[in-house]
Amino acid sequence: MRRRGFLAGALAAPATTALLPGCAPGRRRATGGKVRLRFQSLAWQKESVDATKRLVREWNAAHPDIAVEYVQGSWDSVHDQLLTSFEAGEAPDIIHDAADDLADFAYGGYLADLDGLLTRRLRDDIPEPSWATVSFGGRRYGVPFLQEPRVLIAHRALLEKARVRVPTVQRPWSWEEFEDAAKELTRGGTHGVAWPLKEPVSATLNLSLSTGGRVFHRGADGKVTIRFDAADQRVPRTIRDQVVRDRTASRTTLGMGGSDTLPGFFGGKYAMVPLGFSYRQQIVQQAPKGFDWTVLPSPAGPGGDRRQGVSPQTLSIAADSPYREEAARFIDFLLRPPHMVRLALGDWMLPTGSRALRDPALHTRGHGWATGTALAEALRPAPALSVRGYPEWKDKVATPALQEYYSGAIGMDSLRERLVGDGNLVLARYQR
Amino acid sequence: MSAGSRPPRALVVRRRAARTGQYLALLGYLVFLGFPLLWLVSTAFKPPRELATLHPGWIPDHPTLDNFRQAFDEQPLLRAGANSLLAALAAAVIAVVIATPMAYVMARHHRSPLSRAATGWVVVSQAFPFVLVIIPLFLVLKNLRLVDSLGGLILVYVVWSLPFALWMLAGYVRAVPRELEEAAAVDGAGRLRALVSVTMPLLAPGIVATALFAFINAWNEFFFALVLLKSPEKQTMPVILTHFIGAEGVADLGPLAAASLLATLPSLVLFAVIQRRITSGTLAGAVKH
Amino acid sequence: MTPMTATARPERRPDAGASGGGAPGVRRVTGHGAWFLVLPALIPILLLSVGPLLYGIALAFTDAQSGRTEPTEWIGLLNFQDLARDTLFWESFRIGLVWAVAVSVPQFVLALGLALLLNQNLRFRWLARALAIVPWAMPEVVVGVMWRLVYHPEAGILGETLGTQRDWLGSLGTALPAVVVVGIWARLPQVTVVLLAGLSNVPKELHEAAAMDGAGAWRRFRTVTWPAIRPVALAIGALSFIWNINSFALVYVLTGGGPGGRTRLPMLFAYEEAFRYGQFGYAAAMGCVLVAVVSVLLAVQLVGRLRGDGR
Repeated sequence: MRRRGFLAGALAAPATTALLPGCAPGRRRATGGKVRLRFQSLAWQKESVDATKRLVREWNAAHPDIAVEYVQGSWDSVHDQLLTSFEAGEAPDIIHDAADDLADFAYGGYLADLDGLLTRRLRDDIPEPSWATVSFGGRRYGVPFLQEPRVLIAHRALLEKARVRVPTVQRPWSWEEFEDAAKELTRGGTHGVAWPLKEPVSATLNLSLSTGGRVFHRGADGKVTIRFDAADQRVPRTIRDQVVRDRTASRTTLGMGGSDTLPGFFGGKYAMVPLGFSYRQQIVQQAPKGFDWTVLPSPAGPGGDRRQGVSPQTLSIAADSPYREEAARFIDFLLRPPHMVRLALGDWMLPTGSRALRDPALHTRGHGWATGTALAEALRPAPALSVRGYPEWKDKVATPALQEYYSGAIGMDSLRERLVGDGNLVLARYQR
Repeated sequence: MSAGSRPPRALVVRRRAARTGQYLALLGYLVFLGFPLLWLVSTAFKPPRELATLHPGWIPDHPTLDNFRQAFDEQPLLRAGANSLLAALAAAVIAVVIATPMAYVMARHHRSPLSRAATGWVVVSQAFPFVLVIIPLFLVLKNLRLVDSLGGLILVYVVWSLPFALWMLAGYVRAVPRELEEAAAVDGAGRLRALVSVTMPLLAPGIVATALFAFINAWNEFFFALVLLKSPEKQTMPVILTHFIGAEGVADLGPLAAASLLATLPSLVLFAVIQRRITSGTLAGAVKH
Repeated sequence: MTPMTATARPERRPDAGASGGGAPGVRRVTGHGAWFLVLPALIPILLLSVGPLLYGIALAFTDAQSGRTEPTEWIGLLNFQDLARDTLFWESFRIGLVWAVAVSVPQFVLALGLALLLNQNLRFRWLARALAIVPWAMPEVVVGVMWRLVYHPEAGILGETLGTQRDWLGSLGTALPAVVVVGIWARLPQVTVVLLAGLSNVPKELHEAAAMDGAGAWRRFRTVTWPAIRPVALAIGALSFIWNINSFALVYVLTGGGPGGRTRLPMLFAYEEAFRYGQFGYAAAMGCVLVAVVSVLLAVQLVGRLRGDGR
C-alpha cells in the first residue's frame, strides 16, 4: 500500500484512477421505470440472426417496460471486444459467448453470478454436464444453450464406391477403422479426409476425450498443470500419420477453416471432412445441385467410447449491469424449450435443454439431424474449460505447436515439450 | 532523341531494346498493381455458387448485385459509413484549424526552441509504436468515459493527424513569399490583417489539401477504432469490414468484397482530386526534414 | 522533450540568415503571439500524445492487468525480466525485423524502378500512375481483405493462375512471404511518389551530357540521378522502414498472426497481450522495448545522413 501512495504521487490524476481497480464506471438504473437492455448476439448465419431477432421482437412486444436492443457482435473478435468493453464499463447487459471464454472473465469479476437469478425451470431443464461448463468456484457465470458435436461429413458417392462399412451412432468407427477407411477412400486425386485445422487446439483436445485424453490436471492445491501422455497423444498421432505418413489426408487443408474446405469437398477432392455439426447449413447453401452428402459420427475410442469435449455457446449477464433481474428474465424467455428449438434450428446446432432436445423437428432424417441429436448424450465439458490462462496457452503455445506437428515440421517429443514446458509457464503467470 | 546529329546505328538498336525492356517492365508493374484490384471487383459481383467453385474465373458468369444487398443486410454498413464520415470530417477540420497557426510559427520561426521541439515531435511521432500510446490512452479515455464514443476517437484522430498536418502545412507556409506578407504589414495593413488577407488566401489550397488528406487517413484508420470503439453501432467502416469474417476465419466472400469496394470509394475519389497536391506536400516535408 | 530536440538538432538550415529575421513587425506578432498561435495544437499534443507516452513508460513498471480483483502495484523490472525470458516475444521480434527488411528493401527497389519508368516518356504511363496511386487511397483493411481473396486456397485467383492450389496464408512456409508481398504492394505508391518527385530535381542537362559522353544507363544513374535524389531516397527509406515495423492492420486482417505465430509481428503481439489477455503492464514493457529499438535504428540512420551530408 505504501507503494500505491508513491504511484498516486508519480502519475497524473486521471492516470492514477486508471490504474486503480474498481473504479470502472458502473452504470446506474435509469429513473422513470423504463428499462433498456443491450443484448449482444453472436449469431452469424442469416438464419440464426433472423431467429434471434424475431425472438427479441416477440419479447419487446410482450414486455413494453423492458426493451431489449439487439446488438450484433462477431465471433472473430469477441474476446478482445468483451475484455476491453468490460474494462471500460461499456459492456452489453446480456452477453452471448462460448464457455471457454468465461473463466478469465469470471475471474476478472466482470460477470454476474447467476445462481439466484435463474428460474428453477431453466436450472432443471439443462443437464448437469452442461452446467459444469460454466461453473467456476461454485458459481454459475453463464447459461449454456447451444452446442454441437464434431461429425464427419462424407461424400456419399465416394463412400459407396469405396465399399467401406458405413458407421452409425450405435456402431461408430474406431480410430483404427477410421484410418483404414481413409485409406480406402484415397484414390486418384481424392484424399480420404481433409482436416481443417486452422484452429487445431479445441478440435484436438475435444476429440481426444474419446481416447481418455485430458491434458489439464488439477492438483490437490487447485492449481492446474498440463500433461501430455499416451492417452492425449492418440488422436494427434492419427491425424499426423494421415497427413504425413499415409497421405490419406490432404496437407493443404491443415491451415484452413472449415468452410474453406467446402469447395474442394464439393469438387470431390476429399471424401470426408471432420466438421462441426452446424457446417451442414453452409453445405446446403453452397453445394452444387445434385451433390449428395451424409453425416457420420466421429470415430470412437477404446471400448466404443464416443465421448467428445464441447464448449457450449452461453448467455451471461455483465456484473456492471444495473438490470440483472430483468436480464435474467429475458434469458429465461429466450431459452424456453420452443424458443431454444428455434435458436437451434436457426444455427443448425443442438440445444442443451433436455425438453428442447426431444422436439421432433430435431430428429428428422434430412441433413443428418437425427445422427447429431443422437450424439448429444456423449458430449462432455471440454477439458480446457475453467482453466485460467487457457486462451493464451491456446493461441501462443498450443496452436503453433500443433500446427507444426501436424504439418510434419516437429515430432511428438518436441510437441510434448512445448505444450507442457512452455504451457505450464503461461499457466503459472495466471495462478501466482 | 534531342540530339541534332544522327546517332550511330548501334546506339539506335540499343535504345530500341531499352525501350522494349521498359515497356515490359511497365507491363509487369501494371499486372502486379492491378490484378488484386480486378479480383476484388470481380468477386464483389459473383453469386455464391461461383465463389465456391474450384476453378474461379476472372469475369462472373452471372454478375449480380446481391452481394451488395446482402452486405447491407448483414452488417450496419450505413451506420458505419456515417460514423466514419463524422469521425473523419470532424478530425480533419479540427486538425487543420489548430495546426495551421502552429505550422505558421514553425515555418517562420524555426529557430525558436518551441518550433524545434515541435519539429522534433513531428519526427519522433513517426516512430512511435502505437501500442505504447494506445494502452495508456485507452486507460485515460476510459476514465473520461470516452472509450466507445466517437468523441474520444475524434480526439485521438486529431492528435494522430497533427504530425503530418504540421509537416505539410509548414511546407506550404514556406512556399508563401515572406516579402509579400511583410510588404502588407509595412503598408500599415496591420500585422494580423496581413496574415489574414495575404497569407491565408495563398495558403488556402494547401489547407484544403491537408484537410482532405487528414480526412482520408482518418477514414481508412483501423487500429485506434478497433481498440476504442466497442459497440457495433458505433464502429467505423474498417472495423465493420472485419466483422464479415466469422469464427475460424470463415468469411462470406461476396458481401465482404462488395462492402470493401464501397468502403474504398470515398477515399479513392478524394485522393484522385488532391493527388498532385499530396505529392508535392509530402515531398515538401520529406525534402525539408 | 530533450530527446526530441536532440533529434531535431541535426537538421540543417539552408536559409540560416532568414530565421528569426524578416521585418521587425512580423517578428513581433509571432514573438508575442507565438504561444497564442501554438497553444491550440500544443495542448492536445501534450495531453494525448506526450502524456500517454510517459504514462505508458510508467505502466511498464507495474503489474497493471484487466480485471477488478487485483490491485495494481509497482513491480520494478519484473516485466522486463519476464520479457527477457519470453522466447515467443523474441521470436515475434525477429519476425518483425525480417518483415520490415523484407518489405522495405524490395519496396524501395521496386518503387525506384517504377519512378524511373514513370519519369520516362512512355505510353500508358497515365495508367500506371493512376494504378500506382490506388493502394495508397485504400484502407489497409480493404487491402488485407482483397489479398485474402487473391490468396484464397480454393477460390483464389493466385492458385488458379499458377495451377497449384496451396493455402498461401495458412501454411507455415508460405505465410510470411505471402504477407510480405502484400506489404510491398500496399506502400509501393507512397515510396514511388516521393521518389518520382525527387527525380524532378535531377538536372536534365547533366543527364544528356553524360549520355553524349557515352555513359551507360547504370553509370548515368550512379553519377547523375542517385546523387540528386539521395536525400529524398534516404528519408523515405527510413520512413518506410519505420512504418513497416509498426504495421498492424494488414497482418491482423490477413492472418491474425498465424499460422503458428509465423506472422505475429511485434505490434500484433503487444496488442494481443494488452487487449486480448488484459496484461497491460507487460504489453507496455513490450512497447518500451520496441521504442528503444526503433530509436536506435533511427539514430543510426540520422548519423548516416549526417555523414552523407558532410561529404
